[in-house]
Amino acid sequence: MISSNKEGIMNANTQYNKISFYLNGKEQSASIPAGLSTLDWLNKHRNMYGTKCSCNEGDCGACTVVIAYPREGSIVYEAINSCLYPAAKLHGRHLITIEAIGTPEELHPIQEAMLKHHGTQCGYCTPGFVMSMFAMFAMQSHPDKESIFSALEGNLCRCTGYQSILDAAMEISENYSPDTIVPQWCREVEPMLFSFKQAAYMGEADNANPGLVQKYYLPEDMSSLFDVCDSEPAARFIAGGTDIVVQMNISRREFPVLIDLCRIDALNKLYLQRDGLHIGAMISYSQLFESGIVKSDYPALHELINKIASRQIRNFGTIVGNIANASPIGDSLPLLLALDARLVLASRQGERIIPLSSFFIAYRKTALQQNEIVKELVLPIIPRGNYVHSIKSAKRKSVDISSVVTAINLAWDGDRICSARLALGGVAATTVLSGKFGELVIGKAASELDSVSIAEAIAADYAPLSDVRGSAEYRTKLIIEHIAIYIEHIKGRQA
Amino acid sequence: MKQPAHISGSLHLTGRSRFIADEVCVYGMLHAKFFFSPVAHAKIISMDVSEAENYPGVHSVITAKSITGENQIGHVIKDEPLFPEEIIMYHHQPLAMVLAEDEFIAETAAKLIKLQYEELEPILDVLIADAKSEWYVPERRIECGDVDAVFAGAANVLEGQTSNSGQEHFYMEGQRTRAIPFEDSRLLLQCATQSTMEVQEVVSHLLGIPAHDIVVDLPRLGGAFGGKERAATIWACMAALGAFISRKPVQVKLSRDEDMHATGKRHPFTSMWKVAYSDEGKILAYDIQLLANGGAYADLSVAILERALFHAENAYHIPNARIRGRACRTNLPPNTAFRGFGAPQGIFVIESVIQLIAKKLKLDPLAIRKLNSYQNGNKTPYDQEIRECQITDIFDKLARDANYLSLKEEVAEFNAKYSHLKRGIGIVPVKFGISFTTALLNQGSALIWIYIDGSISVSTGGVEMGQELCTKVAVVVSRILGVPVSQIKVESSNTQRVGNASPTAASTGSDINGNAARIAAEKVRNQLCEPANKLIATKFKIDVCPDELVFADGMIMPINKPEYGISFRELVKFAYNERVPLGAYGYYRTPDLWFDREIGKGHPFHYYVYGAALAEVELDIRLGEHKLRKLHIIHENGSSLNERVDNGQVIGAAVQGYGWCTMEDLKYNDKGIYTSANPSTYKIPGIRDLPEDFQVELLPSQSKEASVFGSKATGEPPLIYGLAVFFALQDAVNAAKPDAHLSFPATPEALLLAMN
Repeated sequence: MISSNKEGIMNANTQYNKISFYLNGKEQSASIPAGLSTLDWLNKHRNMYGTKCSCNEGDCGACTVVIAYPREGSIVYEAINSCLYPAAKLHGRHLITIEAIGTPEELHPIQEAMLKHHGTQCGYCTPGFVMSMFAMFAMQSHPDKESIFSALEGNLCRCTGYQSILDAAMEISENYSPDTIVPQWCREVEPMLFSFKQAAYMGEADNANPGLVQKYYLPEDMSSLFDVCDSEPAARFIAGGTDIVVQMNISRREFPVLIDLCRIDALNKLYLQRDGLHIGAMISYSQLFESGIVKSDYPALHELINKIASRQIRNFGTIVGNIANASPIGDSLPLLLALDARLVLASRQGERIIPLSSFFIAYRKTALQQNEIVKELVLPIIPRGNYVHSIKSAKRKSVDISSVVTAINLAWDGDRICSARLALGGVAATTVLSGKFGELVIGKAASELDSVSIAEAIAADYAPLSDVRGSAEYRTKLIIEHIAIYIEHIKGRQA
Repeated sequence: MKQPAHISGSLHLTGRSRFIADEVCVYGMLHAKFFFSPVAHAKIISMDVSEAENYPGVHSVITAKSITGENQIGHVIKDEPLFPEEIIMYHHQPLAMVLAEDEFIAETAAKLIKLQYEELEPILDVLIADAKSEWYVPERRIECGDVDAVFAGAANVLEGQTSNSGQEHFYMEGQRTRAIPFEDSRLLLQCATQSTMEVQEVVSHLLGIPAHDIVVDLPRLGGAFGGKERAATIWACMAALGAFISRKPVQVKLSRDEDMHATGKRHPFTSMWKVAYSDEGKILAYDIQLLANGGAYADLSVAILERALFHAENAYHIPNARIRGRACRTNLPPNTAFRGFGAPQGIFVIESVIQLIAKKLKLDPLAIRKLNSYQNGNKTPYDQEIRECQITDIFDKLARDANYLSLKEEVAEFNAKYSHLKRGIGIVPVKFGISFTTALLNQGSALIWIYIDGSISVSTGGVEMGQELCTKVAVVVSRILGVPVSQIKVESSNTQRVGNASPTAASTGSDINGNAARIAAEKVRNQLCEPANKLIATKFKIDVCPDELVFADGMIMPINKPEYGISFRELVKFAYNERVPLGAYGYYRTPDLWFDREIGKGHPFHYYVYGAALAEVELDIRLGEHKLRKLHIIHENGSSLNERVDNGQVIGAAVQGYGWCTMEDLKYNDKGIYTSANPSTYKIPGIRDLPEDFQVELLPSQSKEASVFGSKATGEPPLIYGLAVFFALQDAVNAAKPDAHLSFPATPEALLLAMN
């Protein structure tokens, strides 16, 4: 006989964040219960139901809304999954929802094109598609098919089969530019976003509104961050929140105290220094993807990012958050390990730099000490001529977590390999660096490498598990094929 | 003629269209959450809900004991309790419902329910269920010719076993119902269902109150695909029961993960078959047993099995056939309707068989397909005569349009040149029978009102779920009354306005409801003729004969005499003053349908829809990933009511079929727990999965058998086109490894392991 008895305990004493922002062109002050998502705020607190909830975990895009905020001297319009976006993050930003884009009598050009091409059938995913397109066309003139795919891959539609939506987007791309896409009322808010200076503050506790989070802090700088750390030893940090909020929405995991890093300027920096590219804790995947330095100096990373999650998630998910969260399924981790990335850890006592490879101690356990945060990720400069590459294998072409993801970084001395780093994800409990790979290839010329025997020797070191993302047999086969592909590339390069 | 846009399109696009439970909470409304079974099969010893009941904010906990009528929600076969009282039949079966002031409280309290149970061995595999004779009904059978005699003398015989996996509906809007008590014991159910009648009937039985006390109403569905035909009923019953007992509004709204776990899916089938064929590839005899994995309760499994039997020969004339089927009970959630309703499963087997014959004989699969295609005058194994067969023409056109011969050469050249990349071609035809195979369902009603300002309200029993039924109904009414579509409002589906409505399913939505609306509109037009004559005669001082009137462009005029035209609006006002009825009820039943299950013969279908698809893929044989280079579809659809709508149905269904056979991977563990029950592990096609070259041609046809205004149904048949990709992938796999067998679905993993 078995007994099931799951405990369910909930917090009372939820506190509020008093925040100020703009909603569809109008200034707003709102009291947000700690941890509440933007979607729940819209639906349940404002009775705005145009934004739809379909999966509540960032996989379908039905809840897509657009946020506008200043970045590097201009206002960016970004599509995000409102189900994963804590409403407190709206502070100082402009939230744009479907309710403000056109009316049935006077459709927005995006809606006109969608109607013309029958880009909507049941209508449930439609507001999300319109908002994703709004963000894309607000930022980009005449995007091509690949850009459209990249902007819309996070929106699922079960009815249309997408062709009509693509046709609509292609037509808008031809005929419109950001000037005609972004309405005047959005432009009018822009100067206010630049000059926004208010701090958010925390309101009274409220016993009547129990939730998974009791307190949600939004410190404005590093020193107030550490002040909060001192007073809240059990706090968790939240950067984008794309993992933590999923755990709240789906597993109902409690996070009694969260400290959101989004308001801290010091963490929102991306800059090149002598020791490499510094990526601040709040730098989103999209910022990395769009960065000219990443595109030119770290092309493998640029390419890989486009295969991670969806545009909406990339717009607020951060690469540092992925690391600090110690998620075992981070698709960028193998490449970062192959690049021998470092981490700048900061606490009130100061900063220290450690290699990424010594950051992960065990499953979901890291080298972070009490009240210490990952401030930056540092990607060392890749010597000219290195071979750096990453391969991700997943069931679907986009918005899918890998079955196996690997990355390689080879350096040459003349025609001989002088250093070799191979990292693998999805083959063990954590992402691993292969020690054996170096032994097998260092000192050799490409022509001397036998891809089959090397690949098989490496694969023999791992006993991947069978799970929902792939069987052990499949994963082993992928390890072999990935390595064989790398070695063939190298041979091709040298030939 | 300009094709009208989606009638609700501008509402959808601006986020203003109404969906059930996506609106302001009704005052005092309770939210329902469930205590779901943690195991797939068990004997219940006891369940303690006291802690949940006492949790702050909880109104009550509803269990089997709370039921006022009979604890029975089975419809055709009465085998399904709302809450099981003794035996748990599937993982995530709801065992108790918590009603609370807020969703979160209800969910938290549900976790406090304690269950004691004795675990039983679950049956998951259909072959095991079949061996244990776990059938809902005895074997179904269709037979023609003399199968045994042909096998006895046959030179070429092949046999094998073919399986397909299930499919998650993944409608974007999850299951939901809002039940609102109103006067006396009556309930308004705002319910996301494809079948208002069934919900009304089953709820009435469950609560022990008459059907007229239950009003079902819904504006539209956010997608359904069969998943809300029968599977919506349980959630409607939950909300209704909660509201009936508490006398407060109750909302049931499943989260995505709950929905995926607790609802049935497309049926996995396993089939054992044997085929005899000539040296030229002509199929001489086919003997097949189809086993449907029906899950815990009968649901629609028997009807689905029957449709699989009716489509087991697809577009091919097989003179000697023995087609048998058994729907088996297992411990999965009750599998249910899903676009195609068994036909895709039956078709997948015969198409796999054709591929094998072609391989054995080293002949072109298209040639084998053409050789076996139905011709007019042939009879199906169930004796329905084929009268308007188009399949040979469609094959020829497809081969021409897609340059089949040169494409084959290109593929062969490519495959000779590249060792790690292989291309493949797949072709699949479809012949899809239209009508509910349960003949009594082929009836429908419509109600029309013309208000005195000339605006028109139309209600049918049909449910709008994205297929644009409303657009089509409006087109029909607009053609008959000669008014623009914008003057017509197609109303919510409501049991008070249209009672006893058949489910909107089996692709028959526009045939049945369109015809009912046509009949209602014709009636009301006839009613208007007399006052029109009178008005014209008075106004222009002439005599007009009643059958000479034309209704067009918002005007009514004698034929060829536009100068004597009166406006629709003026006529309506006049007719009202003359005390002429401005409303009408239309009733339609599909003619000439019958089927005798005992002998397996009859005329179950009103007509057939034909089509074919060609797919070309490029497979990376090291990673198992593919590119869908080409998908060409030719789809015959009579005289379309709206080509853009039909085009959208064809594309949407084909992509859904493509998802089913290549990436949608339902995984269960050996305890019967669904392990890919969330969108992060269960993947439906995304925009990047579009074919690089996607051609869809709607082939108009002058069919005498077709339905309203010569149009044909489009909902389900095009799902089959997705299978062309599966066969293209198999072709590519075989280019790399001739004897490799590709399992279903053809995920990168399946592809890679097939070649290993």
